[in-house]
Amino acid sequence: MKKNELNHENIKQLLNHSVAQLERPTLTRLRHAREQAMARYATRRAEPVFARAGHAIWHAFGAQHKSRLWATTLLVAIILFSATAYWNHIAKSDTADVDIAILTGDLPIHFYVD
Amino acid sequence: MQIMHLIRHHLFALSVAVLLFLPTIAGAQSWENLTPVQREALAPLSKEWNTLQIQQQQRLINLAKRYPQLDAVQKQRLHNRLEKWSKLTPEQRNRAREKFQAFSKAPLEKREQVKQMVRQQEAEKLSIPAANPALTNTP
Repeated sequence: MKKNELNHENIKQLLNHSVAQLERPTLTRLRHAREQAMARYATRRAEPVFARAGHAIWHAFGAQHKSRLWATTLLVAIILFSATAYWNHIAKSDTADVDIAILTGDLPIHFYVD
Repeated sequence: MQIMHLIRHHLFALSVAVLLFLPTIAGAQSWENLTPVQREALAPLSKEWNTLQIQQQQRLINLAKRYPQLDAVQKQRLHNRLEKWSKLTPEQRNRAREKFQAFSKAPLEKREQVKQMVRQQEAEKLSIPAANPALTNTP
């Protein structure tokens, strides 16, 4: 049984042997396909950090279409929540009424400043 | 599938960008982009406007919304005090707001006494009669 098993070296030799027997047009097509695959790989490696982070999160949610849809919905919800929280914070920190009273009131500013 | 591809590639980056730049999107305004009324209200700050923090700019823009309702004396006071106000630290401005609110809650009689006292002090400093409202135009 062990005799029939192929190791790495055997596979390599077989492939090289097979390649040597291939016709020229087939070899050209194979080389072209390999170049295209390498080009795609290089493009993926050059993706910006945010896109790669996006991919990582995307894959973390599994391969199912439904769970990815949930992930997207969650992301949109987070954005909306953050934006709302930010606008509320701005509204709360609107001190215009007090500021205008200080700046136009009878008492000079230094009365209120330590 | 095309939409999924788009989301996968760009939504995360877009989300981070939106969240990071939300304050900038919300507030950054150059002096040239202000309305004529805002520019008139904030005229004493025209030179340093572009150096002010976005949050401070936003507060001053909110302040300028009240400008058309002010009378001439109040407008004059605002212009006299704006520069000094903008030079205070955020902590000093917060403290001033707190003190103002505490003072506003004091009884009217007490407040009038304090105002009278301050007017007298200012008048002594400037050697101008205390009855003149212009004396409180000091910053």
